[in-house]
Amino acid sequence: MEKKSRRSFVKALGVSIGAAGVVGGSSILNSCTQVASTNSDTITLLTSSGELVKVDKSQLKPADLPSLSENQKRGREGLPGRKFVMVIDLSKCRNARQCMKACQNHHQLRPEQHHINVLQMQDAENTAPYYMPKPCQHCDNPPCTKVCPVNATFKREDGIVLIDNERCIGCRFCIAACPYSARVFNWFEPRDAEKYEGVTYNIEANVPQKKGTISKCLFSADRLRDGKLPSCVSACPNGVYWFGDQNEDAVTNGTTHETTSFSKLIKDNAAYTLMEELGTKPRVYYLPPKDRAFPFQGEIDQHHS
Amino acid sequence: MKKQIILTLVIALMSVSQGFAQEWLVPDDQKTLTNPSEYNLSNVKKGKDLYIKNCKSCHGDPGKHNGLPLVPAPPDVVSEKMQNNTDGELHFKITKGRGGMPQFEGTISDDDRWRLINFIRNFDPSREQLLVDAPPKKAKLLASVNEVEKKVEIFAEVESANGSFVTLTDATVKISAKKAFGNLPIGEVLTNADGRAEYKIPETLIGDENGMVNIVVQLDEAYVTDNVVLDAAKVGQLKPQPKLIKKEILWSTNENIQTWLLLSYLGAVGAAWAAIAYVVFQIFKIWRLGKE
Amino acid sequence: MDKVKSPEESRKLLDKITFDLTRSIVKRDEFTNFWYFLLIIFALVGLWGWGIQIRDGLGVTGMRDYVSWGMYIANFVFFVAVSLIGFLISSALHLLKIKWSKVISRVAEQVAIAAVALAGIIIVTDMGRPDRFLNVFLHGRFASPIIWDVTVVTTYLTISVLLYYLPLIPDLALLRDKGTDDIPQWKRNIYRILALGWKGHAEQYKIVAHAMRILMILIIPVGLSIHTVTSWLFAATLRSGWDTTIFGPYFVAGAFVAGVAAVIIVMFLYRTRYGLKDYFEDYHFNMMGKLFVLVCLVYLYFNINEFLVPGYKMKTAESIHLSNLFTGKYSTMFWATQFFGLLLPITLMVNKYFRRPVPITIISVFVLIASWFKRYIIVIPTLEHPFLPVQNVPENFQHYAPTSIELMITIFSFMAALLIITVLAKMFPVITIWEYAEEKGISREIISEPKK
Repeated sequence: MEKKSRRSFVKALGVSIGAAGVVGGSSILNSCTQVASTNSDTITLLTSSGELVKVDKSQLKPADLPSLSENQKRGREGLPGRKFVMVIDLSKCRNARQCMKACQNHHQLRPEQHHINVLQMQDAENTAPYYMPKPCQHCDNPPCTKVCPVNATFKREDGIVLIDNERCIGCRFCIAACPYSARVFNWFEPRDAEKYEGVTYNIEANVPQKKGTISKCLFSADRLRDGKLPSCVSACPNGVYWFGDQNEDAVTNGTTHETTSFSKLIKDNAAYTLMEELGTKPRVYYLPPKDRAFPFQGEIDQHHS
Repeated sequence: MKKQIILTLVIALMSVSQGFAQEWLVPDDQKTLTNPSEYNLSNVKKGKDLYIKNCKSCHGDPGKHNGLPLVPAPPDVVSEKMQNNTDGELHFKITKGRGGMPQFEGTISDDDRWRLINFIRNFDPSREQLLVDAPPKKAKLLASVNEVEKKVEIFAEVESANGSFVTLTDATVKISAKKAFGNLPIGEVLTNADGRAEYKIPETLIGDENGMVNIVVQLDEAYVTDNVVLDAAKVGQLKPQPKLIKKEILWSTNENIQTWLLLSYLGAVGAAWAAIAYVVFQIFKIWRLGKE
Repeated sequence: MDKVKSPEESRKLLDKITFDLTRSIVKRDEFTNFWYFLLIIFALVGLWGWGIQIRDGLGVTGMRDYVSWGMYIANFVFFVAVSLIGFLISSALHLLKIKWSKVISRVAEQVAIAAVALAGIIIVTDMGRPDRFLNVFLHGRFASPIIWDVTVVTTYLTISVLLYYLPLIPDLALLRDKGTDDIPQWKRNIYRILALGWKGHAEQYKIVAHAMRILMILIIPVGLSIHTVTSWLFAATLRSGWDTTIFGPYFVAGAFVAGVAAVIIVMFLYRTRYGLKDYFEDYHFNMMGKLFVLVCLVYLYFNINEFLVPGYKMKTAESIHLSNLFTGKYSTMFWATQFFGLLLPITLMVNKYFRRPVPITIISVFVLIASWFKRYIIVIPTLEHPFLPVQNVPENFQHYAPTSIELMITIFSFMAALLIITVLAKMFPVITIWEYAEEKGISREIISEPKK
């Protein structure tokens, strides 16, 4: 066990791009992880948005990517002083599903696995249907971490509920405990498992995924560490998502990059949280689907009955 | 049931993709509507404000062709694709939306939608341009933060006709504060006759854990200048950092487990296994007695 | 206790009792071999299925992200339920000084050991990463009901084994001393070792009685917690159908029903197969029948509470769940379990006729099957209806149907449980000989005197 983790540590001694703009700008490649060295000249890298790119070896210089144990340690601590919060403006969503796509690429998810899922909702028989993106709610009273038998899922001081899939035993008690159906399980080998072989586990992206373990939305904690917005927030073309630090009372829109006061935004728009009667205290706020920018196109079916 | 849903989804998707390929058809009665809002400076100005608030994020700045790279691309206001529409067509499209274009029926009043069209027509080559945007001028912006009085002191100059820099008066200076993922606008101030301005930083501004704030100062779009990002200064409130993970909380890891829970668990388990150990010891005694 | 007999009479009677009760140990015919063969083949097929599951992942089951607990958990709850009978018969009834249950207590312990052992094993088959099982002990989180469950299951298994073993010691010595040559030598060697040099001293008897008493008291809280904690695996969540406060006693009451049925079936099999008509008498079946009705009534009471109260209010999510049970997809299964598992045994067995061995065994078979299905509809329908709609996932995520692999592993677990019971019955007497002999008025001196 000890031996194995050491080997993969050496294997994944990270690399970062030395010269800018090798493949579409250095910003994409900032936090790449080495996937496999194919021959002496080129090397395959995994970008933080989940793309695999081939890069000339001479363009690379070693960077200090933390080892697995170091990664797990800092992943458990979180980003100091932050308290992340998301605001989802339901009036802006048109079911473009760019968030779902970006998320699945980033977190190595199969097409049926959703860290974020855009649901078609209708609250009562005669009320208007609307689209509702539903990530993990990162509850402040998380029912999932309450039941985990092995400390494999936990709440960080910055508000994010994370998973350590090196620890998870796959009992799925957390799936049963989550009222938001936010958790997914790797019932099979995860997508592109062979491509990710040998990649050091990044707890903040939960990549590589592992068969027989749990996964869920992590607010792209690895991107937050780099000062970037979560994948879904950045990918949205319609300005649905606001994301920021509740401590400094500011949220930034992923589409327009406009920044505004978090407290003012949720007060002015009468924001609410999902199923607040369950006492889970979500960190994801919803702005009501009033004056929707796009008409509802789907056909609502009463699936939960 | 399920099949039906998939079918409708497929049909919906097909119709959407077809819609993109086809012309955006506007009903004839809508097409021929005329703009009831008079084409005058006041309405164009109002339309501009509305445009900046609702349209700019996708369609970009007029004439700059810097709209979002969406499919289909949102056309620039000055483009033929935009201007070839009749007023009625524009009004219909703004009202109803399609695909990536939102419907503004509920969010912008009918009068205001017509004013938006007034603004769009400002860039119609066949009309007189009422709102003339002068080409942006080169400007210089200096700013510093006064930590004691909690204010930003600004000095602005603009390039004059002869190439030398003169004081910039009556220009809007925007002040924002750097946050985790962007700059939060906190206020605006006008420069005075000396090209100077002072901005009082509001008491409510939140800084980092030491109250430090990076203030960003910029001029409006009429001027070309580098934004001034000031060094962090202690002008904000201390960022509150309430502890989320408290001692003795059920959902946390073992380090924060409730004492009563741990004690009852260990107590019960310990007692049970002590009793079991005692019974095993009794069995051992039976064995010892048997040897005698 | 019958009146004291003369030593000669006693010896004769003891020989007869020993002869009758060792028949299961001695008997080895074609049928026994066939039975073993059957059990082992099915168990191996199940293990093969488990191998496939470990290789390919839990995706080979019918479980998916929404219904993420399936038949394995239903099996687990079922086994835990059946195991609780050990606590009821060999402890609770004993402590209440009820005499007729003494003969049955070893059967109850056999069933308890087999069931709780398989409960422990089946839960491992449900794990996504069984290779990380040790994490439960290395990183155990004390606030998690799963850790409590692991603790009580192991504790209960240990206590059950001790409760089985302690009264067995004098029997083993008796078989060691008086066993005929019909018993294979290797079995007698095992008896000699396990008998711990039992000599039948008064002191030794006293220790056995003392230790038994401690265990019987200890098993009350442990037995109650094993099934209460199991119910908390569900009741600790927010889901409708599980989010209820009476789940603990509801599960315990249901467990007694399942356990009594299981014990009656095993009793009947021993009675017919090993010719123990004079030991598991009609009287015992009659009394078990009365006990059966009692536990069924208690369970019925909890069922009424469990379904009437939320059914009266019909809160949104609850109403979806309940209408699914009452009139929807699971209605056949639901009403069948209520009918065969509760109404039928109560209405029939209040009548003395149905408390005779054959009818009561047939009823018990129905009840046992019904109680398995009851566990199934406790686990699955709730998960099929989460609070938020199930969308953008393949069709098989919306409903649960067990796959052949799950059936294989389930069959494995049942076969393994039967194997444990069979091995125990083939190794050791199914009734405590010395206790029974004492009951018949045979003195301890005669029981422990060596073979002439």
